[in-house]
Formats: sequence, structure tokens, C-alpha cells
Amino acid sequence: MVLLQIAEPGATAEVHGDRQIGVGIDLGTTNSLIAHFDGTDLRVLEDESGQASLPSVVYYGAKGTVVGTAAETYSSSEPTNTIASAKRMLGRSRAEFEDDPYVALAEGEGLAFNTDAGSKTPVEVSSAILNELKLRAEPQLTGPIAGAVITVPAYFDDAQRQATRQAAELAGVKVLRLLNEPTAAAVAYGLDEHAEESSLLAVYDLGGGTFDISLLRMRAGLFEVLATGGDSALGGDDFDRALATYLMEQVALDAPNPVQRRVLLSLARQAKEALSEAESVSVDVSVLSARSEEIMVSRSTLDGLLAPFIERTLAACRMTLEDAGVETVDRVVLVGGSTRTPAVRQAVAKCFDLEPLCSLDPDQVVAMGAARQADVLVGNRQGDEALLLDVIPLSLGLETYGGLVERIIDRNSTIPVARAQEFTTARDGQTGLVVNVVQGERERVEDCRSLARFELTGIPPMVAGAARIEVTFRVDADGILEVSAVEQQTGARSDIVVKPAFGLDEGQITEMLKAGYEYASEDMLARKIGEARVEAEALLAGLQAALAADGDLLSAEETTELQRDMTALETVMEQNEPDEIRAATEVLGRASEVFAARRMDRSIQAALQGVALTDLESAEAEENTP
Amino acid sequence: MRLWREFHGLNVNATAGATARDYFSLFQLEPDFSVDEAALERAYHSLLSQFHPDRYAGKAQFEQRVAAQFCADINSGYRVLSDAVLRAEYLLTRAGVDLVKAEREGVGAAFLMTQIMLRERLEEMPPSDGQAREALTEEIRGYYQTSCGEFAAAVGDAAWSEAARHWQEMCFLSKLLDDARPRGY
Repeated sequence: MVLLQIAEPGATAEVHGDRQIGVGIDLGTTNSLIAHFDGTDLRVLEDESGQASLPSVVYYGAKGTVVGTAAETYSSSEPTNTIASAKRMLGRSRAEFEDDPYVALAEGEGLAFNTDAGSKTPVEVSSAILNELKLRAEPQLTGPIAGAVITVPAYFDDAQRQATRQAAELAGVKVLRLLNEPTAAAVAYGLDEHAEESSLLAVYDLGGGTFDISLLRMRAGLFEVLATGGDSALGGDDFDRALATYLMEQVALDAPNPVQRRVLLSLARQAKEALSEAESVSVDVSVLSARSEEIMVSRSTLDGLLAPFIERTLAACRMTLEDAGVETVDRVVLVGGSTRTPAVRQAVAKCFDLEPLCSLDPDQVVAMGAARQADVLVGNRQGDEALLLDVIPLSLGLETYGGLVERIIDRNSTIPVARAQEFTTARDGQTGLVVNVVQGERERVEDCRSLARFELTGIPPMVAGAARIEVTFRVDADGILEVSAVEQQTGARSDIVVKPAFGLDEGQITEMLKAGYEYASEDMLARKIGEARVEAEALLAGLQAALAADGDLLSAEETTELQRDMTALETVMEQNEPDEIRAATEVLGRASEVFAARRMDRSIQAALQGVALTDLESAEAEENTP
Repeated sequence: MRLWREFHGLNVNATAGATARDYFSLFQLEPDFSVDEAALERAYHSLLSQFHPDRYAGKAQFEQRVAAQFCADINSGYRVLSDAVLRAEYLLTRAGVDLVKAEREGVGAAFLMTQIMLRERLEEMPPSDGQAREALTEEIRGYYQTSCGEFAAAVGDAAWSEAARHWQEMCFLSKLLDDARPRGY
């Protein structure tokens, strides 16, 4: 633990000379976007040809690594070298895709694609996309990117969030926060600014291949996800297929070949998009039939074809409302390109009895919200913004005797959260145990997902039941889990940041960083030294300021000891040994824990006096109101 | 090497590992069973909005870690104080009551009979009979509120072993209430 820089309640935060640059990234299954908010202007950054959306497709082959629209052109000629929808596989295990005919898996244990350029993991594919977005953005910004807010689906579990973070790390993007997509959409509309009164918000997100519905509650400057639902195999692609089948019947085509199928789908998509504006369109199907022919499709025909799919989304909406124990909402936000379809808008309006918010481009709204939050988190604004609170989507626990799950943290707990549980040994003389960390709602381990397995050793031999082993689960604000186990009497301990078995370990990441596009021209050592020094300087500066302000909290002896560690760090910083700088920083950080805790208590008192004051004011206000 | 098979779960104390920080003083509340919910909520929001890790996103990693730990404390405290059963348990722990011993001593035969009777009635009730279910739920809630009131009174008199008994009643009854809740649609 170390010092917190705590601003006095009501005091303005220290002002940095330069405006820091934060970006928002929507890392999507089909398309990805990057956006920036400069304090006045919120915009999505386009590529040189004016395209905002980057197709989430990466090609690995003879032509090198290609990302986006250019990569898509290889999808029919080199399908196995062209990876699309990698997000679906982020943080998943190999077993889940073994039977998927659309995925060519590489040999080995992990989940990776087999390409001509070697095996590529979903994390690497995602990092290539993030890197491409970064390269696109940099020339359009006034300085280096200080950090990014990356959006993830609200239901993303620990492993999927970890994988997303790893992809960012690999692309050299500093993650300020992983933000839930529906929350980002709400932030884009500035709904957080009106969060003083309690209100409920539904975010209806219909993309190409997935449908998500989320319920959010805003109250007194807090933003919470209450419930999520949806259908991971339902979207605009279903609309296209339904219309394509209709066209096929109209031209009496029984068994289209793959080329005809492709043509049909593309005609259907064009017609669908045109029907968002026009009441009817004529589709030229002469390429498909011997007779030159045009088929008229009216909007009501399309509506009829789409009705069953739209009804499925509404059923999911109703179920999610029920889950949350809610009957009505105050606002509905539309996200995803498929919500441009008028029939969808009308159905949503009817279902919620509300006119949905759709003034922002539904494809861009998530990236825009992330950009706004990034601007807050890099420190350009401070103090009065709404807090975006997340909950964990799935319960976390560990395996106990007989393959049962002992739940430690319940789903929907507000994060960050830490919880501890005590366990004991079952056998005389037992000196170790394996902790199997699982995630899910079911009672039995085999029905849950195992996130990690680690071993606690060094328990002194005792009779069964005498050891006291405290297992602590900590989930940070991004939803990432850390587990530690300590035997209370001996202090034998074991920590693990839960790295999913199908993710990458530290060593692999370092290897990739060395080999990667990001650091090819950079001196790794210089970079590492720079980073270590920045961290050390921040700590020293923080401590000096804290000593000046609250030095009275320490005894003379404690002050001397702290200063000794500070001097030690300063000495190490002169040298070019990043690992030693880090080690000394760590030592000083630990040494200042007590001081930090005392300062924290002092500031809590101050903060609470602030609360008391607010109470007084509101009480007075109430009295003065007739 | 399958040691985990031997790993026997024993839930000693739900609040084990909680920091020494007193939740009531953290939220500036009187240490009592009855809690001013609005004041609790206000203090919670005020603390979070000052100490949430997002407020430290641009700061040194150490600071972020402290903020995350502290925020986890705030969240735990809020969870405990905003839930009647957990709050009761916390009051007992705070007063140094041995909960394991209390659980061994049990709730007494009369309450046990009531509880068994209520559970049997619930289990025999067809899930489709919404009206009867609702009536039973109301009845259980009545018992629950009685236990809550008795717990509060016992705490007021510093009669801790009595309070511990009523706390166990509350545990049983709130579990029963949860099971009685209509679901499945």
C-alpha cells in the first residue's frame, strides 16, 4: 500500500499544464472504432479514405499482416489466413471451438488459428486490430495517447476481460479502464450528467450477429448495470438471410451455388438498407436468373420477414426486465447498425412505451462514450463526474470437497470487491492443497468454468481441522480477479493473479512484445527504464508532498525509516537497471503502507465532515421548502 | 497430487478477513441494528465518489491499488450494513460474540418447530397457487419482522446470547423468504 493523493473535499485538483489525450476504443466482433474527445468536440477518428469503422478482420499470410478492409479482400481466396470475429473466441478455451467448422485451429493445447504466418491467438488478432486503430489515430491527435478506455460486453467474464487487457498490452495501449458497452452508450448521450435523480435505462444493442439488452440504473452520480440478457446468435445477418431466402423464392432458385448465395445476401443487404429510407425498392435480380427481372420489395414485406427475429429480441428484453424486477424504464438507447431498421425502432418504442434515443450514430455511440470517459480518466476533468460502477457478471468461488463450489463473491456484486473465507484441512498431516478457482452459478464444479488452479504448500503438519487457511478473492474495477491463500499460523502464502489457462503468461507477452510491431524500432531497455523511473518519481513526489502535509502522523523514528527508503530509491534510480528500480519502488511502497492507512483515515474524517455538511445543507433546504 | 479432494470447506465466518476498520464509523452511523438507510446511502456515495479507483486512473500504480483496496472495503461495508441479516451478524461479531458457539447452542425447540412447519407447508404448496404462496410469504415475513424486533431489543439490552439466538432465527427466516419467492417465469 502507498499514499493516496487526496484532494481536500471541494478543493480543485492540481491542474496539469498540458491536456492529456485519452481515446475510446470499441473493439467489436465485426467492426472496431476509435474516438477522441478534446473537451469540446467528440468525434470518431476516420482512416485516410474517410472510413470510421475498421472491419475486425486480420490477414496473416504471404503479404504480411494486414488489418481491416484490405484484409477482407483475402477472405475468399485465403480463408484460413483471414481471421474474422476473433472477439468471439477471446478468453475462451480450445474445447469450445474444437467442433466449429468455420475455425481452423492450430496444433497444440491452446486456442489459436492456423495461418501461413504461424499460429495466431485471438489475443494477438485483437491486438493487431488495436494497433491499427492506434496508428490511425496518432497522426490526427496533438500528442501521444496517454491511455484508452476499451469497451467490452457487460456479460464478459473474468477470462474475457483479461484477454482484452492482454491484447491492449501487446499493442502498447495503456488501458485506463475496461468499460461495459451499454454504459459507454449511455455516457455518449451524456445521461450520466443528469444522474442526480434516480432513473432506469435500457440499452438495446442489435448488431450484425449478436443481440444484447442491458438495464442500467443511475442515481446520485452512480451508474450501475442491473441486469443483462440477449442472444449471442441473433442480429442483422439474420435479417439479410431472411430477405435473401425471400428473393430466392421469388426467382424460383432452388439450390443456389456459393457465388449465387453471396450475391443474394449482398442484394438483400442493400435492399434492407434502402428500405430504412424508402417505402419500397426494386431489386435487380438479372444476375441470378435467365430472365432479366426486377422484384419489388415493400417495407411491409420486409417487416413481415423480420417480425419473428424482432419478437425474439423483445422476449429477451422482457425477460431481462423481469430478472431485474423492473416493470418500466425511463429511457431506451439504441446501439448497433441493425437498429436503423424502422421496424426495429417501432417495435422497441412499443415494447417500452417510449421513444428511443437514437440521435447519435448507433454504430459509433459506444466508441464515443468510451472517449468521453477516457477524457475524464486521463485527468482532464476531476471531481464531479458520475462514477461508472460495474458489477461482476458471474459468481466466483472455489472447489471444495466432493467437487462442490463454495461461492466467495456473488454475481452482481459491485466492484472493486474483496472477500475472504476461512478453510481448513481435512486430513491429518496435510501439508498442501490445490485451490481451484471457478466461475459460474451452478453448484457443481464440472458445470462451472475453472479459471485457475494453484497450490498452497508449506502448511506444517497438523491434525485435520487445525490449520486455518484464509483464501481472499479480490476483483478490481475492471473485473479482474486476484486470489491469495494464507495459512494463518505460519504465514505460508500463495498469490495468483488469475490468468486464464488459455491466455498468455507474462513470459509469452514479453516475448511477443520484443518481436512485435510496436517495439521493433524501439530500444526495449530504454523504454523499461523510462517506465520504471516514471513510477518511482510519482511515488517519491507523492511521498514528499504527503510528508509535508501530514508528516505529523508519523513518529520521528518512522519518518527516519521512510526517508531512508526514499534515499535508497533515489540512489537506485541513477542506475540503468529497470528491475532494481522497480524492486526499490516496491520496497518503498510497502514501507509507506502504515502512513498511507493513517492518511486515509484522516481524509475519511474530512470526507465525512463533508457529508455531514451536505446533510445539513439538504436538511436546511428541506426546511426552507414549503 | 489431487490434494484438492481433501480440501474441506468450512465456512467459519462470512466477515473473516474484513479489515479492522469499523463499518459503522466508516459510514458515520451509530452502531445499532436500526440504520438510517438514507444516511447510509449518502455516506456510501460520498466515499465512493472520492475513493473509487477511477479517480486515480492517471496516478501511480501503488495509489490505484490502495484506492481499489479501500473501495473494496467501502463496498463490503455497504453490503453488510444495508442487509439486515448481515448487519445483525456484524453487530454480534463486533461485540465479540462467538458465532460458532452460538450456532452450536441453536435456536430452541419452539422456534425449530415453527420453522419446520413453515418449510413443510411451503414444500407442499403447488408452485401454481400464487395466492396461497403470497399469503404464506406474508406470514413468514411476520415471523421475520418479529425476530428482527427481538434482536434489536436484545442488542439494546446488551443481552448478546439472546441476540445471537434471534439472529439465527433471522437467518432461517430470510432463507425461507427467499425460497418462497415466486419464480420460474
